[in-house]
Amino acid sequence: MSTISTTQTIPDSALDKPRTGTWDGGNEPFKASYGKLMMWFFLLSDAFTFAAFLTTYGLIRHRYAAFDEKIHGAFKFSTDYWPVPDKVFNAFPGLHGMDVPLGFVALMTMILIFSSVTMVLAVEAGHRMDKADVQKWLLWTILFGATFLSSQAWEWSHFIGGHDEPTIMADGTRFFGANLTMNQYGPVLFADLFFFITGFHGTHVFSGVCLLVYCFIATTNGTFEKRGHYEMVEKVGLYWHFVDLVWVFVFTFFYLV
Amino acid sequence: MANHVNTAPAHVGEIPKPNTGWIWKTFFVLVGITALEFVFVFAMDPSTLRNSIFIILTIFKAFFIVAEFMHLKHETKGLIWSIMIPMALLIWLLVALVTEGNAIGAAVDNIVS
Repeated sequence: MSTISTTQTIPDSALDKPRTGTWDGGNEPFKASYGKLMMWFFLLSDAFTFAAFLTTYGLIRHRYAAFDEKIHGAFKFSTDYWPVPDKVFNAFPGLHGMDVPLGFVALMTMILIFSSVTMVLAVEAGHRMDKADVQKWLLWTILFGATFLSSQAWEWSHFIGGHDEPTIMADGTRFFGANLTMNQYGPVLFADLFFFITGFHGTHVFSGVCLLVYCFIATTNGTFEKRGHYEMVEKVGLYWHFVDLVWVFVFTFFYLV
Repeated sequence: MANHVNTAPAHVGEIPKPNTGWIWKTFFVLVGITALEFVFVFAMDPSTLRNSIFIILTIFKAFFIVAEFMHLKHETKGLIWSIMIPMALLIWLLVALVTEGNAIGAAVDNIVS
């Protein structure tokens, strides 16, 4: 392309110039680049997907009775009511048999918030065209993201494997852990929603880590430096913060409420 | 190429000093709110009040992530509204379907008993 255009002499007046009129595309009402706007609208649609998941959780949780000590007595896993999250998620790696309610999920939340901070630091370094700093903070973000994913893998394997004490099911059998059709914690849909919601979030984190690895490679190769801006890091940053944002809601509705 | 971002000429020489104070401030706010949530989860028995506290704290956290980390607070009004207004639909969705869940529960329990 460039060789053709340089060998021919086209008069300036014949060249297609970007239009600048208000209704010709010269107006930029949002003062944001095309890529960033599209990322925002993608995230909006993704927010609807996650909201649908969490609303489904709300619907199904309200369809079942809530645990009440006065009616049901001391807490035990039962399909009669929705399980209390502190009793289900109370294991911590390396502390076998100890009751650490929500301890591990607190750690996971901290890891994700921290990864968000290192992500902003990478974006900030990009604004300053500081290649070394972008690399450093992207690496930290990848590390925290991968740690979060590993934590989730542990959380899943513990959820699937089950607690030390089995639950006696309605037909008298002893059952440990959970799958899509049976679980020891409560109504079948409790485990299904756990797998779908945290799984869908985990898939997002995984995609985020892949994008970050791409950004790191491109930064290292100097692609963004040559391009003159680190907007790609900024766009991936928006996605990454969104994933953190979703976790904030998953954490509240799945683990706290 | 008109759509490309402010293609500022590649810098020559000095890289400016980082300005990260606001980032760490937001971080401590987020950690503080999360810590507060943990206080409530153990200090209070489950109730509508406790759930409301959690939801309010969550919205606070969401505000800080979206406004500061995602920089939405510093975008134009038009962009802010085009993201926020569709979100209002979700409040309706949530209220409608949670109510529906209570109704389904009541109906099913009636059939069973």
